[in-house]
Amino acid sequence: MSGGGSAGTPTQELERVPGLPGLYRKALTLAVRRRIGRAGTPSQLPDARHAVRGVTADPTELTRFQQLLHSTARDLLPSAYLHTLAFPVAMSVLARSDFPLPLLGMVHLSNEVHQARQVRSSERLDVVAWAEDLRPHAAGTQVDLVTEISAAGERVWTGRSVYLARGVRLGAGAEAEQRQSSDRPAFSPPTPTGIWRLDAGIGRRYAAVSGDWNPIHLSAPTAKALGMKGAIAHGMYLAARMVDQAVPAPSGALDWRIDFLSPVLLPGRVTTSFTRTRDDGDGSSGAGRTDVVGWSAKRRRPHFTGWVRSGQDAGGSAQNG
Amino acid sequence: MTDQVQAHNAPSTPRTAVVIGGNRIPFARTGGAYAYASNQDMLIAALDGLIARFGLQGERMGEVAAGAVLKHTRDFNLTREAVLGSALSPETPAYDLQQACATGLETVVGLSNKIKLGQIDSGIAGGVDSASDAPIAVSEGLRRVLLDLGRAKTTQQKIRILATLRPRDLSPSVPGTGEPRTGLSMGEHQAITTAAWKITREEQDQLAYQSHHNLAAAYERGFFEDLVTGYRGLVKDANLRPDTSVEKLATLKPVFGKDLETPATMTAGNSTPLTDGAAVVLLGSEEYAAAHNLPMLANIVDAEAAAVDFVSGEEGLLMAPVHAMPRLLARNGFTFDDFDFFEIHEAFAGTVLASLAAWEDEDYCKRVLGLDGALGSIDRSKLNVNGSSLAAGHPFAATGGRIVASLAKTLSEKGGRGLISVCAAGGQGVVAILEARN
Repeated sequence: MSGGGSAGTPTQELERVPGLPGLYRKALTLAVRRRIGRAGTPSQLPDARHAVRGVTADPTELTRFQQLLHSTARDLLPSAYLHTLAFPVAMSVLARSDFPLPLLGMVHLSNEVHQARQVRSSERLDVVAWAEDLRPHAAGTQVDLVTEISAAGERVWTGRSVYLARGVRLGAGAEAEQRQSSDRPAFSPPTPTGIWRLDAGIGRRYAAVSGDWNPIHLSAPTAKALGMKGAIAHGMYLAARMVDQAVPAPSGALDWRIDFLSPVLLPGRVTTSFTRTRDDGDGSSGAGRTDVVGWSAKRRRPHFTGWVRSGQDAGGSAQNG
Repeated sequence: MTDQVQAHNAPSTPRTAVVIGGNRIPFARTGGAYAYASNQDMLIAALDGLIARFGLQGERMGEVAAGAVLKHTRDFNLTREAVLGSALSPETPAYDLQQACATGLETVVGLSNKIKLGQIDSGIAGGVDSASDAPIAVSEGLRRVLLDLGRAKTTQQKIRILATLRPRDLSPSVPGTGEPRTGLSMGEHQAITTAAWKITREEQDQLAYQSHHNLAAAYERGFFEDLVTGYRGLVKDANLRPDTSVEKLATLKPVFGKDLETPATMTAGNSTPLTDGAAVVLLGSEEYAAAHNLPMLANIVDAEAAAVDFVSGEEGLLMAPVHAMPRLLARNGFTFDDFDFFEIHEAFAGTVLASLAAWEDEDYCKRVLGLDGALGSIDRSKLNVNGSSLAAGHPFAATGGRIVASLAKTLSEKGGRGLISVCAAGGQGVVAILEARN
């Protein structure tokens, strides 16, 4: 198994990619047991990695995903789809009974992905995921969820998602690092380049193609039950559209990051701004960086910021050896 | 009619392609006089008038090229079907072309190139569009279910497929003017460009006023008598407001750009309305025109297409002609001073004004167009002298034919050289040069 991180951490091989609905049920049971005092809340991250070998994409599911995201149905896996394939493995770490934060209601703060090369839909992929860097945040406690995807022993995709458990304080001294978030500068919208019109059903449709049936995305009642104002768009739906629109024909390495600033309530409109900067070394690489902002024009509030950087094959191609 | 084998060999140097004449039906506002006429009906109506005017009954033309932007799937061979429904020889070949609002101009460019190369001696170019009789499709969900049902073999499979149908799948899907990759309508895109170039409401209203004024004056002096054939009771473009004024235009409420940080300036008065109509142009070699005793209004000199990256916001959606223009001028050794007439399609008043501003902007021309300095200014008295789309309306694919025929006639009357600029959806644009023959 490839993968960075410290040596000696036990890796737990799962037979197959777990189902997300089962993980959410397990998380719900655990939350109830903790609430009534039947289960303890640990204060440290579990020292474990979860791994699944030989994951493959289903062509029909892949086509559905690509079409929902307005992306071309190529025989390559969209960068966000690699996240989707590996996501349940990462979630299974969060759903462990020795994981200190409550999975349900955790807020997705950001995603950063480094992809070394494009991945064909026929490739067999090995996934390993773990949690690290449990740390205090102004509004609670945050944690990084790291996922690595490899093909034939070569790492092709690394993703780091940051999650926030709102209102959860772990250990003494956590409050010391609290900052006031009110010093965030006022948002002034850039010149728009596009608009995403998201209907009320987009959360359910994205759940169907991604397997992420988190109730906060499905309907207003299920979202309100978990403390949201209403159903909100999946962060990865926004990320997938951002990446695909910024680089519609990726050919080599692809790096991107998205920071979620406020949830997109459904139905809703996200005004977007894409700004492309070409880094023309010799002008032939087609490499460049696109900065993206998504916001609500009505509320003058940013929903997310991000960037996508495309470049030549960063290794792993036949020519590079 | 028997096939005649051409005696001459294809010429090794391009020959001249000329505009012989044109014909269109008056443009109607959507839901108006042509509400129930199909694209094919209107294209045939425009062809009928052209055939009658130039005595083309039974003629086997080299080729007919036309297109429509809003097109039904049953119209896969729209132009050939129109030929079969016309008085032209049924042995006249035809093809459909689609380049959004540049469709009409591009058919002229394509056929004139074939004439120049000696592949054909004559051709009819044009386009048609109906916003009234627009295709309505079933929703994507229902379409999938129907296609899957067709492929299902057992009743069980069929039931399973039907069960996936959702109530929302039953509402139809109507074509919009939104750009597929940005979700913004053409007007919203133009509003961004209009604001970026700081084009004022007053300038836009003034241009719209001028368009109505010029078109009305052209009708008044009979300019369109041999360019337009009445249809379904219409004898003039229904959108024309001869009595409009800058004051009246100033009372209209803005419709685009209301979400921007800058004041909204684009109204229904300085934007083109949805329109129905058709226009065709008769083209030929000099030999063909002479042999058939037909007039030669103008030569088709050259054309250039361009496209811009509007998806990333690098350039405005309708700014592609701004990029095509310096390339076309350089190839032909011309500057704006070499032209007597400019036909810049008025998709929106802001489009024309932003284009003019861009060509006058030294920094932009250097930085974006890669020129040594500003491309130049266009004398407003030479611009759209017989009115343009703001007054006439803009049935997308018909606009190119309208412009080419009007400019060719102007050049035959006044002499000189004319420049055409047409912007199109998808960040595209086509520009072309026409020249008087004397």
